[in-house]
Amino acid sequence: MPYSVNISVEAPIENQIHEITYDGTEIYQPPLSLSESLSKYAQKIDFSKTSEVEVKKEFSETTEDNKLEADSKETFQSNLWPWDTVRNKLRSALQEVCVLADVLAIAKDKRYMVLDPVQQEPLETKSMAQIYARKKALSGAANVLLTGAERLKTSQTEAARNRTVPDFHIELLRLRQNWRLKKVSNTIIGDLSYRTAGSKYIQTGTFEVSKTEEDEKPATPPSSPSPLSTGPVVPKTNTALKVSIPSELKGVAYIEVLCRKDQDDLCSANINLLGNGHTTTHPDMHWQQKLEAAQNVLFCKELFNQLAKEAVQLQAPIPHMVVGNQIMATVLPGIQLIIGLRHSTNVEKKPANSGKTEHDHVLEHSLHQLLREVHHKNTHHPFPHPATGPLGPSKKRMCAGPMAADRYELLEMTKTETLLEQIIKQAQHFFMRMRTEYVLDTIAKEVKDPLISSHWNTLNSPTQSCVKINISTHGYDALCRTPLVIHVGEKTLKCICRDGKVMYMSYEPQELRDLVFCHINQHQILAVQALAKTMGWQSLANSNHLGTGAVEPLGNASSCLLASPTGDRIIAVRCEPQSGVQVSVAHSPRTDFFPSRLVTERKWEHLGGQFRDVRLEKMEGRNFLHKMELLMASLTSNS
Amino acid sequence: MPRIFFIKVGQNYIIIMSAAPGSAMDSLSAALKCNIIPNQEYLLQGSVLDQYVEVLLHRLRGLCDNVDSGPESFHDHELSFALRAQGSGAAPMVLPLRVRRALDSPESPWQLRYVGQQELGDKNRPTVVRSSIDMACSSTIVEFLTELGCRMDFEYIARGYMFRKGRMKITVSKIFKMGNMNTKPGEGVEPISQSYLVELSVLAPTGQDAIAEDMRIFAEQLRPLVQLEKIDYKRLGNMS
Repeated sequence: MPYSVNISVEAPIENQIHEITYDGTEIYQPPLSLSESLSKYAQKIDFSKTSEVEVKKEFSETTEDNKLEADSKETFQSNLWPWDTVRNKLRSALQEVCVLADVLAIAKDKRYMVLDPVQQEPLETKSMAQIYARKKALSGAANVLLTGAERLKTSQTEAARNRTVPDFHIELLRLRQNWRLKKVSNTIIGDLSYRTAGSKYIQTGTFEVSKTEEDEKPATPPSSPSPLSTGPVVPKTNTALKVSIPSELKGVAYIEVLCRKDQDDLCSANINLLGNGHTTTHPDMHWQQKLEAAQNVLFCKELFNQLAKEAVQLQAPIPHMVVGNQIMATVLPGIQLIIGLRHSTNVEKKPANSGKTEHDHVLEHSLHQLLREVHHKNTHHPFPHPATGPLGPSKKRMCAGPMAADRYELLEMTKTETLLEQIIKQAQHFFMRMRTEYVLDTIAKEVKDPLISSHWNTLNSPTQSCVKINISTHGYDALCRTPLVIHVGEKTLKCICRDGKVMYMSYEPQELRDLVFCHINQHQILAVQALAKTMGWQSLANSNHLGTGAVEPLGNASSCLLASPTGDRIIAVRCEPQSGVQVSVAHSPRTDFFPSRLVTERKWEHLGGQFRDVRLEKMEGRNFLHKMELLMASLTSNS
Repeated sequence: MPRIFFIKVGQNYIIIMSAAPGSAMDSLSAALKCNIIPNQEYLLQGSVLDQYVEVLLHRLRGLCDNVDSGPESFHDHELSFALRAQGSGAAPMVLPLRVRRALDSPESPWQLRYVGQQELGDKNRPTVVRSSIDMACSSTIVEFLTELGCRMDFEYIARGYMFRKGRMKITVSKIFKMGNMNTKPGEGVEPISQSYLVELSVLAPTGQDAIAEDMRIFAEQLRPLVQLEKIDYKRLGNMS
């Protein structure tokens, strides 16, 4: 064969194992001494065999006698001492040699015995028989190879099949990579609580890890028909590892946040780490999902527990209510924030109003973030500087002594906002933003003449955002533009006007609406004046808060007077938030003059004439400014 | 003019500087009775050679809390003052006071600290226990102490890293001799030895001896790298 491999077989160096105890320790035999091993090897020498072969080859006649002798000797063997067999064999060998010497001596004399060479018949080599023999040998060898290959194949398929049924220890290793485990006597206990991340929640999140019993695996299929009727079939996963979770952490939990306005839901957020609740407590669920679900339950419980505790402690003008698994807090008059803990252990219980609720991912995110921030703060204390200082107090607190902080400042330092306060603030801000958006959108829809555009800042905090409003007229953007900035807070709005004035408004949307309308009027008056300047007209007077005329329900009318370049025509504009814009025109002197008894001469007409209303709606022009431009142009050209 | 009081607590003294003595002393003694003031320092000390300090820091990073942002470094200057007063006996009474400031964060307050003699407690107690009272103060403390009659014994600069494990604080610091004061800061300092000082300490109110056991277990975990032990200063003093 072309490929021959040398295989050397050696005895292991270590001693033989004498006994294996139940705890696995191996007791070795003491090594043999030199003399013991020598006698052991001597015992192994088979003198008879070699002598037999030798004798058979050379002295075929004497073999039978010798064999008999050897056999008879062997029967007398007694294991009295270790060298007994050796001695016996040596003795028999000596005997044989002596007999041989005698035979040779007799044969040499040639008197009594003559040795004749015996003609041995050469063995007949039958070619066919040889072929058959070879064939048989080859087929035997082939059989050995084939069975070997077969065995390898089966072992490989076995290994492949075993891969789907994972090893318990491999699974345990994977579990250990993501979860905290420890061994307590004979059980493996894990911890899924957030305690290491800074949580101080009392409830423990221990779970037990055990090996799936072999007889349990076939027992699961009968139980599968029941989940079939309830939900989607979860593909059965074979795991060698089983986690048992305390019953209070089983199931799916989430925190529901609803904002209710006068008993009807405005918005709601279902807080659920696991998505939309489709992941159910399936008995065959993978341990990773099972643990994650349990951890989520624990987290939601902690969050709700914290919120409920705060709701009871907080002194709110309208007290918060905690009823069962629900906290009710008033955000703004007429608007309530309802935070509920939903924990379902069985699959059938689905929230009935799931169709109605809208997910608010911002609120969902915020609640989680708030608790995680608390956790983070619990573990991340600032280090003291200098290094010998105590751990714990903040830097501000450390400075309180040398900086002579008073009682009030120290009390302020101890104050921290509770989670509930923060989430209420966020909800309030959410409503303020929504209302502001609504007011601005409706005004922009209602008022077409000056264009109102609002730009929301993309960067904002959960409790503060900012909108910039631009009031401008189409086609006259460069002429006049009224910018407004509104900071939307939690319960108030802060508006920074064009002239730098800062106005604070409450949560009532009407206030913002009034303010914007006021600014629309101001914009119109200012824009007309700016237009007049470019047309060569003169601005005679201008008042933002006109005292005359009918009393306005909100704000004051504003007005201005414009005179033509030659001064013979005057336009008066009056802007009222309610009735809109009134424009009047006066000519002086009037183009037609009829002397009367009071006004006898034409020159008196220069004092100013009667104003006549212009019916703006009948005029041409895209918008108010365009109309005014046309009006001024026509009045200028007429003169 | 502030008034200064010495209150004897056990074998140690507390200094109170107060404008209104009555109320401050009342509230302080009330707080002391309630055992809410962390005035006991549990301490274990050891040292590690310069070439192995990296290994120790690595180990500490693995063991301690919140080292994801790297270890916190510090650079402090400590002055040790002593107030000598003629006691009743022949031996003069010495009150040591330490002033420490952070050179790397100048806006942090200075610290005045009184560290008492270690308590002659149980031999089997795993850590040194000594009373420690510290307070933040402003930089005028040095002048104040000098005015008070304190004399500066020695000063040094400690630079290194600190770690936190629960309530335990571990500092690994190199001690530098103060050089000539005229030279620029950072220059003219020379290390006192070829090793780093490792301290494991907890400040706790009186009677919380359970923490000492935790410290012993933690020190065990650092065992081959650094041997944290109770160090008896009196014996060291006799040796020298």
